[in-house]
Amino acid sequence: MRPLIRAVVLGLVGYVAGAWLTVAVRGGSPSDDVAVVFGFILGLIGWLMGIGVWNAWAREWFGLPAKPDQATGWKRYFTFNTDHKVIGIQYLVTFIAILLLGGAMALVMRMELARPGQDFLTLDAYNKLMSMHGILMVATAVAGVLGAFGNYLVPLMIGARDMAFPRVNALSFWLIPPVAIGLLSAPLLGSFDTGWTAYPPLSVVNQGGQVLFILAVTTFGLSSILGGLNIVTTVATMRAPGMTWGRLPIFVWGAFCASILSLLVTQFFAASLILILLDRVAGTTFFGAAAGGDPLLYQHMFWFYSHPAVYIMVLPAFGVMLEIITHLARKPLFAYKAVVAGFWGIVGLSTIVWAHHMFTSGMAEQLHAPFMALTEAISIPTGLVFLGALGTLWQGKLQSKTPLWLAFGWLFNFAIGGITGIYLADVATDIHLQDTYFVVAHFHYTIVGGTIFALIAGSYFWFPKITGRMYNERLGKIFAVWLTVGFNLVFIPLFWLGVNGLNRRVADYPEFYAGPNAFASVAAYILGAGFLLYAGNLLWSARRGPAAGPNPWNARTLEWQLPSPPPEHNFPLLPEVVGHPYDYGVPGSVHAAQEAAEGGEE
Amino acid sequence: MNERGGYKQDAIRVGLLWLGLVVVLEAVWFATEILPRQYAEEAKIIDDAFNLLTILGIPVFSFVVAMLIYSAFRFRSRNDASEDGPPIKTSKPVVVTWLVVTSALALAILINPGLVGLAELRANPEADLVLEVEGQRWQWVVTYPNGAEVRDELVLPVDTRIRFDVTSVDVLHSFWVPGFRTKIDAVPGLVTSVYVTPTELGTFTDDVNLRLQCAELCGIGHARMVMPVRVVEKAEFESWMAEQLTAEAPAAEGRG
Amino acid sequence: MALSAGAAHERAEAMWRPRANRLGLWLFFASEAFLFAAFISARFVTSGTDKPDTLNQPLALGITVVLLASSISAYLAETSIAHGDRKGLIRYLSITILLGLVFLVGVVFEFREAMEYFPPGTIYGSNFVALIGLHGFHVFTGIVALAVALGLGKKGHFEPDDYWGVEGVVKYWHFVDLAWVIIYPTLYLF
Repeated sequence: MRPLIRAVVLGLVGYVAGAWLTVAVRGGSPSDDVAVVFGFILGLIGWLMGIGVWNAWAREWFGLPAKPDQATGWKRYFTFNTDHKVIGIQYLVTFIAILLLGGAMALVMRMELARPGQDFLTLDAYNKLMSMHGILMVATAVAGVLGAFGNYLVPLMIGARDMAFPRVNALSFWLIPPVAIGLLSAPLLGSFDTGWTAYPPLSVVNQGGQVLFILAVTTFGLSSILGGLNIVTTVATMRAPGMTWGRLPIFVWGAFCASILSLLVTQFFAASLILILLDRVAGTTFFGAAAGGDPLLYQHMFWFYSHPAVYIMVLPAFGVMLEIITHLARKPLFAYKAVVAGFWGIVGLSTIVWAHHMFTSGMAEQLHAPFMALTEAISIPTGLVFLGALGTLWQGKLQSKTPLWLAFGWLFNFAIGGITGIYLADVATDIHLQDTYFVVAHFHYTIVGGTIFALIAGSYFWFPKITGRMYNERLGKIFAVWLTVGFNLVFIPLFWLGVNGLNRRVADYPEFYAGPNAFASVAAYILGAGFLLYAGNLLWSARRGPAAGPNPWNARTLEWQLPSPPPEHNFPLLPEVVGHPYDYGVPGSVHAAQEAAEGGEE
Repeated sequence: MNERGGYKQDAIRVGLLWLGLVVVLEAVWFATEILPRQYAEEAKIIDDAFNLLTILGIPVFSFVVAMLIYSAFRFRSRNDASEDGPPIKTSKPVVVTWLVVTSALALAILINPGLVGLAELRANPEADLVLEVEGQRWQWVVTYPNGAEVRDELVLPVDTRIRFDVTSVDVLHSFWVPGFRTKIDAVPGLVTSVYVTPTELGTFTDDVNLRLQCAELCGIGHARMVMPVRVVEKAEFESWMAEQLTAEAPAAEGRG
Repeated sequence: MALSAGAAHERAEAMWRPRANRLGLWLFFASEAFLFAAFISARFVTSGTDKPDTLNQPLALGITVVLLASSISAYLAETSIAHGDRKGLIRYLSITILLGLVFLVGVVFEFREAMEYFPPGTIYGSNFVALIGLHGFHVFTGIVALAVALGLGKKGHFEPDDYWGVEGVVKYWHFVDLAWVIIYPTLYLF
C-alpha cells in the first residue's frame, strides 16, 4: 500500500503547488480555471511518480537503476505492476466499480424522473448528475472491455509472455484513478452540466467543474491512446510461432481493430477539449461567435472521435461474444474471415460517418445525403458479425451456461440497437428523433446491450481463468435473465417516449409522459437490484467457489491451456501454434502444440 | 440423427417461425398507433419514413429472434459432456447471399425513405411567411413580419408554408415542435432555417406535442424552455398578429 | 530446463523487441499526426487561409531554418553512436538541443508580437496560439528527451549495437520538425 499512499500524497502536493504557484504568479483565486489546470497537471505528475513511474522507470532516464516494486499477492494490485494479467484485473475491478457507481447515479435520475414535476433534484443538480453518469459510463464502455479483457487475454491468446510495453501498460492503468478523482471532485468546483458531449458555447461559459472534466477526459484519452498503441504493437510483433493472422482468436481481432481506432481518433477528442480549454483560459475564441468562432467546429471534431468511439466500445465486445458463442456452441466460428473483414469494414467506415450526429445542427445541407449513405453502409459489415454469431449457433451443441445465456440477450439487444440506429441515420426520421429519448434508448441498447453485456458475460466466462474458481451457475443464469429482461423493460418505453415528443436531458416533463416514465423507473430499480446478485455471486465465488481447473469449458484457445490463474509470464515455453483456434469437431485438429503444460517449472 | 435431413428440417422450421413472427409483429405495428398526431405536412413525410423503416426492420429483427429462439430450444446440448458440434465449414454461398441481402436492404432504405424523404423535405424552398426565432437562456423570442416580438405563445396560421429563421444569442438551443416533427439547432452566429406547413388546428393545452421545446442542452432552464404553440385559421392569425403589435408598445415603454 | 527456457525467451525477445520498439514509435507518430491534423483542420475551418500582414515573416523563416538544421545535427548524433563515436554523439546532441532552444526563444518572440498584433481574441490569433503552443510543447518535450539522451550518453550508455534510446529520441525530433514543416505554411504562407 505504500506506493498508493505516496501517490496520493505527492498528487495532492502537486495539485496544491500548481494551484498555489499560479495564484502567486498571476493572482486570482485557486479555483480559477488556470490554477486548476496547473494544479491538475502537477498533481497528475506527482501521482504518477508516487505510484511507481519514478522508481520503475524514470530513474533510468538519469542513469540510475530502476527499482520495480516487488510486492506479491494482493498487494500487487496497488502498485505499478507490469504483469498484463494484474493490469487486466485492475481494469476489470475498477471499471465494474465505476459501472456500479454510474448505475447508482442512473437510479437517482430515474427516481427524479419517476413522475413529472421537479421532485427532489433541482434542475441544475439533475443536469450535473446526468452529465456525470454519462461520462463515467462512456469511460466504462470505452476502457472496460478493451482495458480488462484486452490486457488480460491478448497476450495469453496470442502466446506471448506479456504486452510489448509493460511499463506503458501500467502507466495506461494508473492514469485512470486521476481521471476518476478529477471527474468525481468536479462538484467541488460547481460540476459540469453539459452532458458528456460538452458542447460549446455552454462548456465555455459554465462553471469551473468543466475544466476538471476537460483535464480528466484528456488524461483518459492519453490512457486510451497508450493502451491502443500497446495492443496493436503486441499483436503485430509478439504472436507465438505459427500464430498467423488467419489463426488469431476473434477477440484478438476485435481488440486489435478497436485499438487502431483508439490510437488514432482519440486525439480528436483531446484536441476538441483542448480548444475549449484554450477558450476558457487563454482568451481564444474558437467557439465564440462574436469574434468569428464556430461552435459547429467542436461538433465535427468531437464526433470524429465519438462516433468511432462507439466501435472502440463494441468491437472488443463483438470479440468477447463471438468467443463465448463459438466455445459454448462447440462449433467452428462461422464465416471467420467474413467477420474479420466486417471488423475492418467497421474500422474504415467508422471515421467517415460522424456527421450523422449533426443532421439538425445547422451544418451544410449538402453533407446530409453522403453521411446518411455512409452511415447506412456501416450496417453491412455489422451484419457480418450477426452472420458469424447466428451461423455458429446453428446446429451447434449449445452448452447451457451463463455466458451463453448472456450472449443470447446480447444478440437480441444489439439487433434492436442496430435497427433503431437506422432511424437515426435516416435524415428525415432523425430530424424528429434527434435529441429525444429515442436516442437515449438507442445508444443504451448498443452500449449497455452491446458492450456492457459483453463486459458482464466475459466476467463470467473468464472468471474461472482469472480466479481459478467457478462461479455459481444457477445464480449466474438467474442474473442473465434478470439483466436481459430488466434492461429491456427499462429501455423499451423510452423509444415510445422519444417518438412521442420527450426530449432528452430533462429533469421535468409534461404530465403526458408520466406513465412510461414511471414504468421505466420501477423497472430500473429492479434492474439495479439484480446487480447485487451479480456482485454477490462473483465476490463469494472468488473466495469460496469450487476449484475450476485449467479448462472448465474444454475450450481450445491458448489461455485455457494454462493453469488457472496463469503463472507470471504465462508460458514457460512458448507454444507452437499449428491450427485454427475454433476447429471444434474437426477430427484430429490441434490449435497449439502442448509443450507448455509439461515444462511448468520456472 | 439424420444430418442432412436435419439441416433441411431445421431450416424449414426456423423459416416458419420467422414468418410467423413477421406476420404477428407487422400486424401489431399496423394495429397500434405509436406515432403522435401530425400537425404539419412535414410530419407526414417524416412519419412515412418512420413507418417504412419499421415495416422493413421487423423482418430483420424477427430473423434474429427466430434464430435465437430456435437455436436455444433445438440446439441445446442435452448432456453436459462438452461434445463437439458438427464442424460446419463457412459456406461461401451463405456469406455471399447474406452480403447481397444486407447490401440490398441498405441500398433500399438509402433510396427510400432516405433520399426520397430528403428530396420531399427540400422540395419547396418558397415560404409564405417568415418568422425569426431567437433562442436565449431560457426562452424563445419570435419576431413576426410586422415587427411584433412574442415570448409567451407561438401562434401560426394553418395551411401556410412557414420558414423559421433560427438563431441564438448565447449557447446552443434547438427548435423543435414534436407535432410538426421538424427540428433545427439554434447556433450563435448562424441563422439556420426550417420549414413547417401546419395542416391542423390545435393548441398546447389540448396536445402536449404542440410546444416549441428546446432540444439541445442549454443549462439549468433547458427542461422548461418551452413555448406553447397554437395553430389558428389564417384570418384569426392576421388579427392576432396585429394585436401583438399594439399590445407590445406599452410594454416596451414600460421596460425602457 | 529452466535455464534453457530463459535463454530461449531472451532469444525470442531479441527478435521482436527492436521491431516492437520501432512499430510502437511509428504508431505513436501516427497518433500524434491525428492530433496535429485536428488543430490544423481547426485553423482552415475557422479562418480559411486568412492571415494578418503583421506576421513577422523573417523571424518565422529564420526559426524554420534553425529547426531544419537541428534535424541534421540530430541525424549526425545518431550516426555517430552507430559508429561508436561517443564524442560525436555528445557534440551533436548538444548542438541539437541548442538549436532547439534557439527555436523556442524565437517562438517566444513571435508570441509576444502576436499578443500585440493578432491577439487570441481574434480567430487567427486563436489558431496561432493553439498551433504554436501545441508545437512549442512538442519542441519542449523533444528538448527534454534529447537532454535525457545526452545525460545518458555522457554516463557511457548506448553502444553501436544498442542505441535505441538515441534512435527513438532522434526520430521523435525529426517528427517534431516535420510537424513544423506543415504548420509553418499553415500559419505563415497560405
